[in-house]
Amino acid sequence: MSHMPEKNSWQVCQHCGKHVHDLQWAPDFRCPFCGVLQRLTADQRLKITVDAGSWQKIDLKFQTTNFLNFPGYSEKLKRAKTTTDDEEAIKIGIANIGGFPVAMGVMDSHFMMGTLNTTVGSAIKQIMQIAIEQQLPLIFFVASGGARMQEGIFSLLQMNTILNQWPDLETTKHVVINVLTDPTMGGVSASFGFKADYVLAEDHAQIGFAGKRVIGQTTHEKPAENFQTAEDLLTHGLVDQVVARENMRTKLITLLRLHSGDDVHD
Amino acid sequence: MTKTLEEKIKLIRSPNRLTARQVIRQLISDFFEVHGDRLLGDDPALTAGIGLFHKQPVNVLGINRGSNIQQRRELNGGAVRVTGYRKALRVVEAAEKFKRPVISLINMPGADASAFSEEHGQSEAIADLILKMGQLSVPNVALFLGEGHSGGALAFSNVNQILMLENALFSVASPEAVQAILKNRNKTQDASEFMPMTAQQLKKIGLVDQIVVESPSNTLMDRIDKAIVNSLNELEKLNGLQLKTQRFKKFENITQI
Repeated sequence: MSHMPEKNSWQVCQHCGKHVHDLQWAPDFRCPFCGVLQRLTADQRLKITVDAGSWQKIDLKFQTTNFLNFPGYSEKLKRAKTTTDDEEAIKIGIANIGGFPVAMGVMDSHFMMGTLNTTVGSAIKQIMQIAIEQQLPLIFFVASGGARMQEGIFSLLQMNTILNQWPDLETTKHVVINVLTDPTMGGVSASFGFKADYVLAEDHAQIGFAGKRVIGQTTHEKPAENFQTAEDLLTHGLVDQVVARENMRTKLITLLRLHSGDDVHD
Repeated sequence: MTKTLEEKIKLIRSPNRLTARQVIRQLISDFFEVHGDRLLGDDPALTAGIGLFHKQPVNVLGINRGSNIQQRRELNGGAVRVTGYRKALRVVEAAEKFKRPVISLINMPGADASAFSEEHGQSEAIADLILKMGQLSVPNVALFLGEGHSGGALAFSNVNQILMLENALFSVASPEAVQAILKNRNKTQDASEFMPMTAQQLKKIGLVDQIVVESPSNTLMDRIDKAIVNSLNELEKLNGLQLKTQRFKKFENITQI
């Protein structure tokens, strides 16, 4: 959707089709005409979220391979690595947000739609473990189309292995925040997606389990225009707040401060 | 003798396929069915309750697809709705409280795809059931009578031991969905060539503990009975913490590629 060309100062908004200049996008990548957001890469997300220079990347434990020899997967992986200049659909690390140290997992929809596979699942479990060991708050920026089909049952089993480890986070007494961004679907939505202490949804994000198209085909009814949007989830009581991207960092700082255990003076 | 994937699919989706209700009727005595999730409604696709299995009280979760068009419509073809996952959660919590094993009987396409389930938090309902099943200090066992796909089926199978009938399937997505990403790369139209989903393949990777042979069909129920007894006997030796650890390790080991 938001796969931007590399070096052009003008891009077409994928939603309204209007031409938007680089300077108009930056830094939050919201279309000045229709107000819809572009999907961010993990790096772009970090840039507008964490304190400058505070990001300490943690290396993933292993590299993704096409261990099932699934046709076309190796090429897809290669292409994703080239376009994102990244190893996988998630970045994990430790950073400061408003001075508060946090453990973070940031998913990237530009890498095979942020799908959950063995490597991404292991990274999620790894950063959970680090949050527990180092007694840190944990923030996930979720962006995922669900389980990665090309790794079959091994992708599916990431859902329960993450959840089997999830109650360990309770031992930290530190806050866990999930920010659901566009898209948050399938196996990610139905595993750790909603299990944090607070679930924030970025405005306009599509969030759900089954895809809108599948639901349309199965029920033979056209879902409403705002179906599975962050705003719709809020009215159904499924998320705590819908937060505009421009306010996300401030909201996170507020939550972190409210859970920091310090007296709050401002 | 081994069937092709196509033959397996035909068999497990046939109206004559052994159903969860039949298994419950024949193997569970004094079955007391519970209804409703206490929030939104009752999902008829899930038969849930308590009963006696070899004189031992057990909690049972059975998914039904229906054997004719009318039933299939009523039961949503076995696609468990948000209400079903929450009803299951109640039964699983009761199993923990009363220290009883949980037995799931699975034949379902996957989770419900509807606006109703989405708008009432199906994602979190599935996650809650997966999580609770994983934390149980009592044994849980899943038997795949037919197929089970996606997180919907996983919610019923985050268990100590998985048993499958010989033609059953368990996959990240339906064989048709897998075929769709394979497109024309797969001339045999057999998605299982590219990812493990049959009982035999899943036993090889250590996910499935026992395969139940299907023929002769007149003694199938005896073999199912024996398989479940075997599993429960083995798991009986473990205490609450060991059961949790065994479950945790079972899946963690498989995913260490």
